[in-house]
Amino acid sequence: MSHSHKLVIKRSSMSRPPPPPPTTNKDQQHQNPSLQEINIKLIQSGEKERLKELLRERLLECGWIDEMKALCRKKGRNNVTVDDLVHVISPKGRASVPNSMKAELLQRIRAFLASTAD
Amino acid sequence: MSGPNEDNNTQLSSHIFGDLLDSIIVDVASECHRIAKLGLDRNLEEEEEEMRLSAQARARVADPSNSSETNTKYVVDIFGQTHPSVATEIFECMNCGRSIAAGRFAPHLEKCMGKVIPISSYHISICLYLSIMIDSYYDREFCAIP
Repeated sequence: MSHSHKLVIKRSSMSRPPPPPPTTNKDQQHQNPSLQEINIKLIQSGEKERLKELLRERLLECGWIDEMKALCRKKGRNNVTVDDLVHVISPKGRASVPNSMKAELLQRIRAFLASTAD
Repeated sequence: MSGPNEDNNTQLSSHIFGDLLDSIIVDVASECHRIAKLGLDRNLEEEEEEMRLSAQARARVADPSNSSETNTKYVVDIFGQTHPSVATEIFECMNCGRSIAAGRFAPHLEKCMGKVIPISSYHISICLYLSIMIDSYYDREFCAIP
């Protein structure tokens, strides 16, 4: 088989669909270092994990996860890689998050950012 | 107040949210991949029926108006305690992670692991061992670097 058994770490470091195109914000140069810093603070404080669990719980409640699993099942069993499945569900997945849920998470993230501002 | 800092925060938040969502997408894809490769979804409807029966069993025991029926099967142990006919403790199946009432555990394992397993601590150890073997098989076959 030529194609991919290429996972090294199961849950992260996957090759993912390309991120959304960068904005034309002229301050973009300054964003990347601060994003790294924020990520470190998120992880060290445990907030990243809490946020992820909150999002997962909400997505479960509204049936989003079941929808994604149904999409995966449709793809079939033969010769599917995790990459394939990620590509199958990412567009629909990203697009079908309810706005209220997204707002709730964004609110919490912003609160975290505010609390860590120097 | 407002201005570049606010815009920055908004963008950061969106990016962080996107990261979280992508991470959950990968988790879901991984889980579906595992289920597909290990053939655990063959009896999906039966499993859902299983969960329904499990919930029913718990409800039956919890319902006080049923006590006259179920009492005929109650056994008094040496401490004078009675035990319900359907054991209601909830366990997490070590194979699929579902929450199952103890009284429904044997039929669930039968479907979950594809074989008939009488419950005894010896057999539970074997189930645990098998479940670990299945996981490491999955890791070797589908997650290793070529």
